[in-house]
Amino acid sequence: MRIIDFHTHLDRHWLGQPLPTAEAMVAAMDRFDVEASCVFTVMGFYGNCESHNEALVTETDRYPDRLIPFATVDPKDGPAAAEELEQRLSDARFRGVKLHPWLQAFAPSMLKETMTGLLRVAARHDAPVIFHDGTPPYCTTFQVAEVARWVPEATIILGHAGLADYVDAAAQLIRDVPNLYACFCGPRGGDLLHLVATGGADKVLFGSDFGAATWELLAERIDDVVEAGLTAAEAEQVFYGNAARLLQRRGGC
Amino acid sequence: MLNTLPVIDAHAMLGEEAHLHLDAETLLRRMDAAEVTMAIARPMGAGLVVDHAAGNALVLKAGPRIRGLVTANPWWGGKALDAVARGRDDGAVGLFLDPTRQGFMPTESIAMPLFERAAEYGWPVLVRTGTYVCADLLAVAEVARRLPATPFIAGFGGFADMWFDLPGTFAAIPNLYVDTSMMIGDGIRALVTAHGPSRIVFGSAEPRNRYAVCLRTLERLGLAEDARRAILHDNAKRLFGL
Repeated sequence: MRIIDFHTHLDRHWLGQPLPTAEAMVAAMDRFDVEASCVFTVMGFYGNCESHNEALVTETDRYPDRLIPFATVDPKDGPAAAEELEQRLSDARFRGVKLHPWLQAFAPSMLKETMTGLLRVAARHDAPVIFHDGTPPYCTTFQVAEVARWVPEATIILGHAGLADYVDAAAQLIRDVPNLYACFCGPRGGDLLHLVATGGADKVLFGSDFGAATWELLAERIDDVVEAGLTAAEAEQVFYGNAARLLQRRGGC
Repeated sequence: MLNTLPVIDAHAMLGEEAHLHLDAETLLRRMDAAEVTMAIARPMGAGLVVDHAAGNALVLKAGPRIRGLVTANPWWGGKALDAVARGRDDGAVGLFLDPTRQGFMPTESIAMPLFERAAEYGWPVLVRTGTYVCADLLAVAEVARRLPATPFIAGFGGFADMWFDLPGTFAAIPNLYVDTSMMIGDGIRALVTAHGPSRIVFGSAEPRNRYAVCLRTLERLGLAEDARRAILHDNAKRLFGL
């Protein structure tokens, strides 16, 4: 089974907690047959996006076929955020965008003009935008779906497919909003069956959050898919096909 | 085969709720496949929120290998206490409450009589914890402080976003337990390392989670045999008086 992990983090630490290195991450990917991982900052969500984007791409340059960097920007910076995003996405190495309204401290609706501009930049570059979701008050699954409705040409991904309490909502929303996808990263096997049955196997991608925790998390999240009870064809789409399709829009995976 | 020890699942769910559904027969099949000896089940869906008679009957009449936690919505007042008393007569081994689904804050006065009744019966109380507001882990901790002789189990271990509040709360409240059903391995390891295994019980969250996933998560931690036995069996046996 081919696997692309659409949700991982690569940073030196998360506040006081050391995080796995790029070497450790690739070693774990080898162990579990993960071909490539989309990697996001952690500390860059707390500030200094530019330097964290630079640091991320420096690390991923060491494993260009395995680690795919996603840029982040701070929408609170207004037009400067759009400029930063334009610059990053003009660099072919950045293949997508990660936003985390909870950690970045903004409600998308309070920055609608900026957010709309950012998503249009991403859409122009064929870059998917993945949001943390499932956590009030800035990251409910409904809030992220609303953002997707603002810019239909953008590809928006629920980073946790509803996480704990929003899974049913996520299933309905990816069914109803054409440009909205769900990254299965956190919910469990019984939830995955519902996401696929309701939203469609073509709207759900695998993600682990590996990097924010140790290698065991990658194994656990793979188990979540393997043990869910999907058909082989559905599992292939979730583990690989859908991520490959979204990433290929910007030039191969 | 993953298990060389008898396994007690301390948190399974019977009934129908949103996209989840599980009956006793199916749970038993899954237990057999995973070599789980016994499950502690609680109602979900309508049986949890409004129809306690049906929900409690579902878990209390599921057979000798499935023992039940009864529930009652605190808003029923005296009727809720009557439902709990009937549950005790029918062999319940504890109380389950889901503040989010049942619509109350754990510290609200409306809920206190139920907690006190569980304490009177010598029962453990399993409370679903998770997304903030009513399922706030710290709200459950406040109630646990008020009833220090009663074991409170943080159901789902604060899944998803209260994982960072769990270690400190666990350290501060000696009568607070967790079930592992929705916890990631790192979170379980952190608690075992800091506090030992004595307040951690294995759970599956079936039908939301899968036995195979939950058991492998524990196996990967490479815990000492006594810690594995405590989490998979001994703690639940002691806690639920099995």
